[in-house]
Amino acid sequence: MRGEGRQMAVISFRRIVIARMIAIGIVFLLVAAGIYGLGLDPGMVGRLVVTSTFGTRFGLENLALYMTPLLLTGAAVWLALRAGLWNIGAEGQFLAGASAAAAIGLSGGANPALAGSPAAFMSSSLTLVLAMTASFLAGALWSALPAAGRAWLGVSEIITTLLMNFIALYMVYALVTGPWADKVTGAQMSSARIEVVLPAFAGAVHCGWPIALLAVAMLALLFRRSRFSYCLALCGSNPEAARYAGIDVGRHVFVTLLLSGGIAGIGGMIEVFGTVHRLQGGLANGYGYLGIVVALLARKSALALVPAALLMAIILNAGIVLQTVQVSASAVLAMTGLLVFAIAVADDYAAWSRSGRAS
Amino acid sequence: MYRALSESVSPAQPRPAGYPHGVPPLLALEGVSKYFPGVVANENVSLAFYPGEIHALLGENGAGKSTLMNIVTGLYRPDRGELVLDGYGVSFDGPDAAIAAGIGMVHQHFKLVPRFTIAENLALGRRDMRGILSRRKLVAFARREAEKYGFAFDVEARVETLSAPEQQRVEIVRVLGRGARLLILDEPTAVLGPSEVSELYAALRRFRADGGAVILISHKLEEIMALADRVTVLRRGRVVATHLAGSLSPQALVAEMIGHAPVEALPAPEPLAVDPDRETISLRDVTMRDESGRLRVHPVSCDIFRGEIFGIGGVTGNGQVALAEMLAGLRHPDTGRILVAGQDMTGRPVAAFVEMGIGYVPQDRLRQALAPALGATENAALRVFRTPPVGGRFLWNEDAATRYARLLIDEAGIALADPSRPVRGLSGGNQQRLVLARESRIASRFLVACYPGRGLDLGAMETMRSALVALRNTGRGVVLVSEDLDELLALSDRIAVMSGGQVKAILGRGEATREDIGALMSGHGSGSR
Repeated sequence: MRGEGRQMAVISFRRIVIARMIAIGIVFLLVAAGIYGLGLDPGMVGRLVVTSTFGTRFGLENLALYMTPLLLTGAAVWLALRAGLWNIGAEGQFLAGASAAAAIGLSGGANPALAGSPAAFMSSSLTLVLAMTASFLAGALWSALPAAGRAWLGVSEIITTLLMNFIALYMVYALVTGPWADKVTGAQMSSARIEVVLPAFAGAVHCGWPIALLAVAMLALLFRRSRFSYCLALCGSNPEAARYAGIDVGRHVFVTLLLSGGIAGIGGMIEVFGTVHRLQGGLANGYGYLGIVVALLARKSALALVPAALLMAIILNAGIVLQTVQVSASAVLAMTGLLVFAIAVADDYAAWSRSGRAS
Repeated sequence: MYRALSESVSPAQPRPAGYPHGVPPLLALEGVSKYFPGVVANENVSLAFYPGEIHALLGENGAGKSTLMNIVTGLYRPDRGELVLDGYGVSFDGPDAAIAAGIGMVHQHFKLVPRFTIAENLALGRRDMRGILSRRKLVAFARREAEKYGFAFDVEARVETLSAPEQQRVEIVRVLGRGARLLILDEPTAVLGPSEVSELYAALRRFRADGGAVILISHKLEEIMALADRVTVLRRGRVVATHLAGSLSPQALVAEMIGHAPVEALPAPEPLAVDPDRETISLRDVTMRDESGRLRVHPVSCDIFRGEIFGIGGVTGNGQVALAEMLAGLRHPDTGRILVAGQDMTGRPVAAFVEMGIGYVPQDRLRQALAPALGATENAALRVFRTPPVGGRFLWNEDAATRYARLLIDEAGIALADPSRPVRGLSGGNQQRLVLARESRIASRFLVACYPGRGLDLGAMETMRSALVALRNTGRGVVLVSEDLDELLALSDRIAVMSGGQVKAILGRGEATREDIGALMSGHGSGSR
């Protein structure tokens, strides 16, 4: 059948949307079947997920908190993909950024005596700015080695960025069980509490959420108006032609992966100062890997990162609800995997036209 | 069903000298045709390969040699015609079937596992080496194999540590070890030094003496003269002729290879009044080595003027493209200098050459000159995105780029409604028109074009040639690298003939005859500067 059709050069937005709706529908059906198989009522679980996610203030706030890191790791992976690069290391860069930010946060220490005074405000603002800068640099540094390998030695960034994740993870473990271990409450695998926090935006949602949205908007603007984005597209599409156009492909690859790592690093800072307030072993929570999913869902549009991150946030939220009805937390992983698989198939099918109306 | 094949093969093809009548060829192709969308790869090819002969296949790039060999090795099936093995019609379902029938190919890029030892590579895919093998058994087997074909290897060395010639020997032993009676070699001496070449020759002659057949694909005429018993020349997918190797001079072979198409209605440009102060691209003793360190361009010095078409001719792979890429700034000479309009451009980036007004049409447009997945807009801007209106130091103006693309599309005469559509959807001819239009606009001083006629139909070819002449007539210089001798003769004000990386001669209009150029291309003959 498939051999009869033709692959279209340009896939219309409508076709993609329809194909993806079908894919997501199939995933829901499969998940429902799984829930039924566990002896639960899919209808009841579904209602529970919807009401607890959208029906409560807590659920909506949680969505925004989940979205924030996903937006940034998604943007990091998305940026690299523009140049045809796979940054699988957002997880590690996120942790590197979080560690650098925590180092600033833990060393500063707010003075309780000054609480509420302008001096305290200045000092905490400075801490936040410093922490954000440090997290960007740390994330960039974490991807520098894979970036250099890819840019000038042709070493696959897929492997090296992935491997750097494990180094980052164990580095965080070492920090939070060693020098930065919480000696006050004795919490396992956790640093002491960081007193400086990101200001609140609305309710429990801190201003990391608008910052992440702003970052995505800036990325979208950058990709509409900059020469850099054009060069990246060229490097990603045909490096040989990029060289012919006089573009230094190696340098662009290097810079892109560094920027990508930096964005993921900022994600780590926001998570520490906004949501968790500590450096912890499980801080990254798979956001780096889910960022890959978010970037894939967004395809070529930076603004599409927003709905993509929202969808992933809903799934993460659903995972919590499922745990309350005794479904394993791994169900989230299974759902994510199914979703990626279904979307990949859907995108491919959207490109095929049986009537051969190819351009 | 046995058939007397000596009759069925076209009578124009001589049997190998001293070969007894009545014995069928090892493999015969009868009227083999293969078509790809819009391309005739092979048409009505009839050829016979006899045991005990070395049969050379000669032809330019795109003459259909590769497709033909893919048919013989079972990768493609012919659309028409048939293969006859030892007198019986066969049809290969896949490469396995061809290997089982005793057809083996030594590719230009070896099909060895680099991380495996020689012994492991030799044992790979062998029916008699299945199951659990001890190291001793493996080594003994590999030594036996190597000796059988007269090679000595350190069979426990890993293939990735071997030099290219050594790898080639391993590949040959491996192919022979799988029972090949017909050995196909694709440009086998490309990776070899002189002493290794004679070793290879000796091995091939040994194989021939034992009744094996060899198909030798080569551009190198000396090689063919030294080794082959018969030569078949292919052109545009068809057999031009098969000759006994001794019966023809290299010059005659080159002439056959490049064709005798009548010099017809090509637009012969009027000579321009020569202004001695014209700007030039000047090469001063430039040399260039390729990645493997071999000298691709020997010291070349010449001046190319604005207002002339400077043709570069030669058999493919004799340094023409390397020279053209240096002229366009894509590669840098290892020694020597390049001056454009008196300005030293040696080692400057490509962008500087574009700024100086040098356009370049690469030989492989889809791979080198276009980003197929991007739209016509992005591709139109490919080499001008640094400057307004399309771009600037940091900016990219999508609207201006789209307008620029529309302008180019109009100029090139391409029917394309939406410039945002990926250019891979365009036909080959339209892609080339787009590149030519883009580069012509850049070429305020010079246009360097490598094989601009490749893949164009006749009408498009005519348009392309007129465009080149128009550039010249408006005072721009055109460097035309071409394999089409008629094109070169009709368009060029001067023709440089390259052979072995050297410019053998630069001939003015009227000074050059086909025969002279053919002789120069084959590395024989000499010309005056």
